[in-house]
Amino acid sequence: MKTRLILLFTVLSLGILSCSKYPADTGRLTEDFVVYTKYNTANNFQQYTTFAIVDSIDYISPKDSGRYLNPQISGLLERISSNMVARGYTKVSHDQQPDLGITVSAVKTTTTTVYYPGWYWDDPGYYNPYYWGYPGYGYYYPFYPTYISSYSAGSLIIDLIDFKNPTPDNKYAVEWSVFIRALLTGNHTDSQIQTAIDQAFTQTPAIKKTSK
Amino acid sequence: MKKAILIFSLLALLTGFAEGQDKSDFSFKPASYYTFSWNTTFTMGDFNKWVGNASPAGAVFGGRYFLANNMALGFDLGWQRVSQSYGYQTFYGTDGSAITATNYRFTWMVPFQAVVAYHFGPAKLVSPYVSLGIGGDYMEHHLLVQEYDAYKVRWDFSLTPEVGALVKFGNFAHWGAIVALNYKWTTNKIELYNDRKTDHLQMLNLKVGLCYLIR
Repeated sequence: MKTRLILLFTVLSLGILSCSKYPADTGRLTEDFVVYTKYNTANNFQQYTTFAIVDSIDYISPKDSGRYLNPQISGLLERISSNMVARGYTKVSHDQQPDLGITVSAVKTTTTTVYYPGWYWDDPGYYNPYYWGYPGYGYYYPFYPTYISSYSAGSLIIDLIDFKNPTPDNKYAVEWSVFIRALLTGNHTDSQIQTAIDQAFTQTPAIKKTSK
Repeated sequence: MKKAILIFSLLALLTGFAEGQDKSDFSFKPASYYTFSWNTTFTMGDFNKWVGNASPAGAVFGGRYFLANNMALGFDLGWQRVSQSYGYQTFYGTDGSAITATNYRFTWMVPFQAVVAYHFGPAKLVSPYVSLGIGGDYMEHHLLVQEYDAYKVRWDFSLTPEVGALVKFGNFAHWGAIVALNYKWTTNKIELYNDRKTDHLQMLNLKVGLCYLIR
């Protein structure tokens, strides 16, 4: 009897000790959006005056990549524009040779690998520089972008491109990258999407035309 | 803390009640006993700044062996976790990067102690005791930014003075209950903060559980 009880206590204690160290509610963390930004710290963003933004979102998918526009996407693009205007930049059309160009892409499916330089730069995965009036040019990162091994569905990618200072070998630098995980999964309201866009700008105070 | 005061008040009342109800000499002083307790941790000081929530996620298994003069030697082995979500926070890198995500912190602990205890009236229905645990802890401090997990592992030395009581379920019962409160001081620290220093993590623990007494 004594031995059995000792064994019982031992088993119970082992059972308790093998309990998961991670709290149960940490499983929900993957549902919340993440706003990740990175910019070229060597750049002076006050040198630019005009910007243009794409008129639709480029969906990245192995099966049916294309460009999409709906009221939610329109609202998202408009929010990006209004943030830029608030920072002193002037919005122009994409065919008016803007100083800055903003491209917006969304990942439609999971298990997509991203590597440096951007895999999604070629058609139909991205806005070729021809869209901006610069045929024959390419893009590059002046800073080392974060390697992201997979995107979850609905992740948003925003790139800010410098058209004012092309390299001698016809390349335009991506001066600011934004990655918002799980933004367009349908689990977030328009208000939350707007907040995420605003947060991307809030955590990058360097992007401004005016000094104030 | 209020719960601890309430429990100890009840305990004091129980002691008086038990003595008033039964002055029989027919009881026994156990040769040893084992305990299995549910443990609630209340973080203090710098530890409380890391995780402010009290946590009932823990358990302790212990054994005590009586020597002469109501002294007992034994051990405690446990598991404990404290955790808290801090909502959306922004972390800035030095390379122009920044990330805003849900910030979740938790510490997972495995304490192990050798214990020396003194029992007041071990043969009585309610036997208060005081004890001192000397040992260490294995701790993992985790900072979750979304599901990205940054963590540090640290071992430490710790001291745990404790007051408590065994309450037998009858004069000759082998089973009983244990209620105890202890203060733990450790040499552990958290190094995941960039802008603050934490040393000597401290906490209060409230134990409530079962004991099995062996004659």
